[in-house]
Amino acid sequence: MNLKDQINSMDMDDIIQMCVHQEQQAIDLYTLAKDQARNESSRQKFQELIDMETKHKVALQNFEIENYIELPPADLKVTDYLMEPVLGVTMTTQEILILAAKREGKTATMYQDLSDHFSMDKQLSTFFQMMADEELRHKHDLETEYENEFMPEG
Amino acid sequence: MIREKPQSFNTVALKERLTIPRQSMPEQDPFIRSTNFFEVNLGLTPEQAVIEAQRCIECKKPTCMDGCPVNIKIPDFIQLICKKDFLGAAEKIMEDNSLPAVCGRVCPQETQCEEVCLVGKRFEPVAIGRLERFVADYAMENGNGSVKETQIPQPSGQKVAIVGSGPAGLAVASDLIKEGHEVTVFEALHEFGGVLVYGIPEFRLPKTILRQEVANLEAKGVKFIKNFIVGRTMTIQELMEEEGYDSVFLGLGAGLPRFMNIPGENLNGVYSANEFLTRSNLMRGYEFPEWDTPLYRAKHAIIVGGGNTAMDAVRTAKRLGAEKASIVYRRSEEEMPARNEEIHHAKEEGVEFLNLVNPIEFIGDDQGNVVAAKCLRMELGEPDDSGRRRPIPMEGSEFIMVVDMVVIAVGNGSNPLISQTNPEIETNKWGNIVADADGRTSMDAVFAGGDIVSGGATVILAMGAGRKSAAAINEYLKSKVGSSA
Ligand SMILES: Cc1cc2nc3c(=O)[nH]c(=O)nc-3n(C[C@H](O)[C@H](O)[C@H](O)COP(=O)(O)OP(=O)(O)OC[C@H]3O[C@@H](n4cnc5c(N)ncnc54)[C@H](O)[C@@H]3O)c2cc1C
Repeated sequence: MNLKDQINSMDMDDIIQMCVHQEQQAIDLYTLAKDQARNESSRQKFQELIDMETKHKVALQNFEIENYIELPPADLKVTDYLMEPVLGVTMTTQEILILAAKREGKTATMYQDLSDHFSMDKQLSTFFQMMADEELRHKHDLETEYENEFMPEG
Repeated sequence: MIREKPQSFNTVALKERLTIPRQSMPEQDPFIRSTNFFEVNLGLTPEQAVIEAQRCIECKKPTCMDGCPVNIKIPDFIQLICKKDFLGAAEKIMEDNSLPAVCGRVCPQETQCEEVCLVGKRFEPVAIGRLERFVADYAMENGNGSVKETQIPQPSGQKVAIVGSGPAGLAVASDLIKEGHEVTVFEALHEFGGVLVYGIPEFRLPKTILRQEVANLEAKGVKFIKNFIVGRTMTIQELMEEEGYDSVFLGLGAGLPRFMNIPGENLNGVYSANEFLTRSNLMRGYEFPEWDTPLYRAKHAIIVGGGNTAMDAVRTAKRLGAEKASIVYRRSEEEMPARNEEIHHAKEEGVEFLNLVNPIEFIGDDQGNVVAAKCLRMELGEPDDSGRRRPIPMEGSEFIMVVDMVVIAVGNGSNPLISQTNPEIETNKWGNIVADADGRTSMDAVFAGGDIVSGGATVILAMGAGRKSAAAINEYLKSKVGSSA
């Protein structure tokens, strides 16, 4: 069943639960990776990602996005064509950033689908649209960081 | 601080100076030089140097010095050239820069001193870099390169270990030996000079210059030890506790190649710029078969990136016999970080520029050799923080290019060895060592500077950082004597 069909058969609570679950999964993965990471720089990067995902989770639970910035950012697509790394202890900071940006991209698509699905309900549609923008903004930030650090001459 | 204006030796009337054209540097013919590794630029003649120096309008408030990261006394050395006191001019530069023959060749003057030269507001700026190179070469040929016979300092009885012999390490060595400390440079490779020997090719920076600089430092008493990897051969603690070094400077550089993380990057024929250039320069692949380092002669070599490293790699590939050598760059030429001169020279030598193109996959044959690159076309979007316009992929623009060699030159990171073996040395999330403005790290008596702190930057910035650290190390050593007395 694809996401759109899945949404059709769910009530609102289930949908929020699904989204919270998605964010929590990311938090768990990044926490695991942080605890096992071999160097301080990776640990720092994982912590930043955990903080980011926690904010998303809180937004879902409160149905409110703190410090929402009106303008949605452009999708730079820097990591779209890169290989998807497997989450693990030996991950490099470069792989962590790629994985995180790709996840943000996928989650943005999920929220965008939800926003489209609830297009008749202005409040819901706007909320999910804002969540999609948030994810895209984070993807943008991660990809900017990626470009600056991993391809300064690229 | 108000600087005293140097005495003028310019005999040309002020008005006439602006009518003198910028003196062009003689260079090897592009067709011939693209088949050899001899230096491209041949240097100004003494006559040209004096004419070029006479273009300086002797501004009341010269801006050129502010444009130089180490504040070389540019107006002063230019006047000495007008006076034809070339050794004096070299000496003046060396008050602030111990590697002028290197900096005169590789510094991005167009974005530093020459960018802010007031002559450049209406005409072409004074060719400060070419003048620096001229006097440095003159001093090497006519003096002993270190120019002034420095007095032998009183031995301090204190020992400093310098890890890494790149420009940062050499600058520290040069300053600290003058203070009477016992200075030893430990280098992982079998030649000294860091990127200047393993990265920048002979046709841009002849290695004899580095060997001469190292010999000068040796003559002053600096000890050089090669094939010594600090962190493996011996740790920092062992250097200090067992070998008795009072302080350590880490000038490790940013020599860890970055890859793109696209499919096919581990096919045969796909190199990092670091490996490719090291094979050619340090391992003398360009002198094969006299030197036993084979390097593939490509039909079509593509080099991914737009910095100096990419230009060095593409021009090397061309000289090694590639039938076609192309730069593949995601942005347009305007955003390229490489020096204008390198781009210009590469074009003259027949390098093809495929701008607004990005590889997304390398395709191999059944032997695992790269045979093609799948690429995407890009378009420019909004500017990023650095002001460069952002490249955005154009959906559905994929195309395949037949290639048999790829060099990835998108950037470098810091080597994790030292931070892994010394967790007490704080690093940032990218693995660069965290140091204050004077190079102090979180470990007592240990200093760091150059690319290992800043990330990949420039020779002059690395040297500038080295000099600041040298001053701080000297202070530290003095205070150590003071407190134990
Ligand atoms: C191909 C290329 C072209 C460039 N062109 C230019 C240019 O035209 N102009 C410009 O201004 N800049 C240029 N740069 C950048 C410039 O070369 C660097 O910014 C500069 O060399 C940094 O100096 P550094 O002393 O910090 O490090 P490096 O030059 O990298 O030297 C570090 C040295 O430390 C050694 N080392 C590392 N770890 C250890 C260890 N554990 N034990 C012992 N030794 C160790 C390394 O082997 C190396 O020799 C270029 C860089 C590259 C790669």
